[in-house]
Amino acid sequence: MNTLEYLTGSQAHLFWPGVVTALLVAMLGALLSPLVVLKRLAFIGQGVSHAAFGGVGLGLALGLGGDSLADQAALQAVVIAFSIGAALGIAWLSARPETKPDTAIGIVLAAAMALGFILYRVAGQRASASGSSRPPALESVLFGDVLSASWADALSAGVVLVLVAFALWWSRRRLIFWGFDEPASRAFGVPEGSTRTVLLVLLALSVVVAVNLAGIVLATALFVLPGAIALARSTRLGGVWAWSVVGAGVSALLGLVLSFEADLMPGPSVVLAMTGAFLLARLLPRGA
Amino acid sequence: MPSQPDTSTHALSLRDVCYRYPGASGYAVDGVSIEVAPGERLGVLGPNGGGKSTLLKLVLGLLEPREGTIRVGGLTPDEARRRGLVGYLPQKVNAGLDWPLSVRQVVAMPITSRLRPWQQPGEEAKESIARAIELVGMLEHANTPIGRLSGGQVQRAMIARAVAAGPRILLLDEPTVGVDVVGQRRFGELIERLHDELDLTVVTVSHDLTTVAATSDRIACLRRTLHFHDAPEGLTPQVLADVFSHDVESVFGAVHVDAHAAADCDDPTHTHHEHSHDSAHNHPHSEDEGERS
Repeated sequence: MNTLEYLTGSQAHLFWPGVVTALLVAMLGALLSPLVVLKRLAFIGQGVSHAAFGGVGLGLALGLGGDSLADQAALQAVVIAFSIGAALGIAWLSARPETKPDTAIGIVLAAAMALGFILYRVAGQRASASGSSRPPALESVLFGDVLSASWADALSAGVVLVLVAFALWWSRRRLIFWGFDEPASRAFGVPEGSTRTVLLVLLALSVVVAVNLAGIVLATALFVLPGAIALARSTRLGGVWAWSVVGAGVSALLGLVLSFEADLMPGPSVVLAMTGAFLLARLLPRGA
Repeated sequence: MPSQPDTSTHALSLRDVCYRYPGASGYAVDGVSIEVAPGERLGVLGPNGGGKSTLLKLVLGLLEPREGTIRVGGLTPDEARRRGLVGYLPQKVNAGLDWPLSVRQVVAMPITSRLRPWQQPGEEAKESIARAIELVGMLEHANTPIGRLSGGQVQRAMIARAVAAGPRILLLDEPTVGVDVVGQRRFGELIERLHDELDLTVVTVSHDLTTVAATSDRIACLRRTLHFHDAPEGLTPQVLADVFSHDVESVFGAVHVDAHAAADCDDPTHTHHEHSHDSAHNHPHSEDEGERS
């Protein structure tokens, strides 16, 4: 068993932070996932995760590519701000009568990716010219590299998880009313604009954290698959959220085991494990 | 007709209300004045695009009138909405029926969305939710997921939601689009029951004469402006033809209902009410016209 070797052997201290981070991030995605699926926000999530790459490029170009904790934190802050801006920009463009939501997302996604690639290259050239540390490999940005996570990464994922869980609990009733029946909720006094903003900010923040695990390309999966699994298994509000969190947590662990055993990239392994769980959830007969 | 009482006694009062959408060349609603007494059932009849939905949005406070004033129970629309005085049934079900919500959870939304996050609905709130579900005849489905209901059951759940928080006025926006004649009659009976039991003021807007007649004591016709309001001659073919400005015959598909509604409107003395009712199937139009001349 490679897994036992990795997690109990002499190198174990290198892997545990990654395992814990992966579990926390999977649960974070799972908390928002039912809302993302039911409110059809998957494509916005996709837009935001790609916009995060623009934020990464911007941060690196600003010289925040160092290994120090301060540099890492500043880079994260830039990426988070950039992604929240992208989410609100998408929402603002979509609300305008002349732009359809998918057009708005397509524009923001492509523009942020293009900016990200250019700035990433600029930062790389500058780093090699000055001899300073090189920016992280493009592959790990695109597909995630959760097993290189430190305990600081795990801690920040945990803080965001608690924050998002609390914010969701705090605004659960208006989020659900607004999500379920937007025009009517307005007529019953639910503040539409602030409810939408709350959800988009939580989503953007969580997507940035999820990029650590699954990378820019696959992060959306963490916000779509758990909800899809849960909705295939339950028609009750509490049941759906429970299935989402448990399903995401279990399949994240299975994905990591798969990645250890077969020496695969952890991000794609977790996504494939969740996809397998989704297929099982759909195909197995439902008891209750 | 009494027309100048204190505004605060009205369930709903509009004075010279005008609204134009940003960028639109003309007014969607132009100089509309109307007063609805508490407990009254008003029908607003008009063609599609005639400003009915705009009028409802104005009353709900979702749009600000360019000119004129609106009072709901003596309050501004925003204030009335915030206090839960207004119940609203949207035109069609826009709701996400794939949401994992029971009928009870949906009906409770206007109440629970007003609670602080740490509060739970009290006994009184639970009772009014249960009563709303019972009134629309959905008690046995209270715990059924909303996605497993038929179209008619979903609408009844939405009606229960509209009245759960104890509103004083109920706004119905095109409530019977795509509903057959039997369904329309049942709908009319349901609204009447709610009106009687909950002492509600009801405003129904529709392009469908049958619907309006089945849910209203009084009918106003809206096509940008109110074409008829409280006029003693009632809802004559001329008025309707003017409002709809297309083939009058198509409007008079439900002749008996038209005459019935017209009789209710056009008879302040109630002396020939029965007569009008009896002759409704025969010559409703000529009777209305005869009354005017």
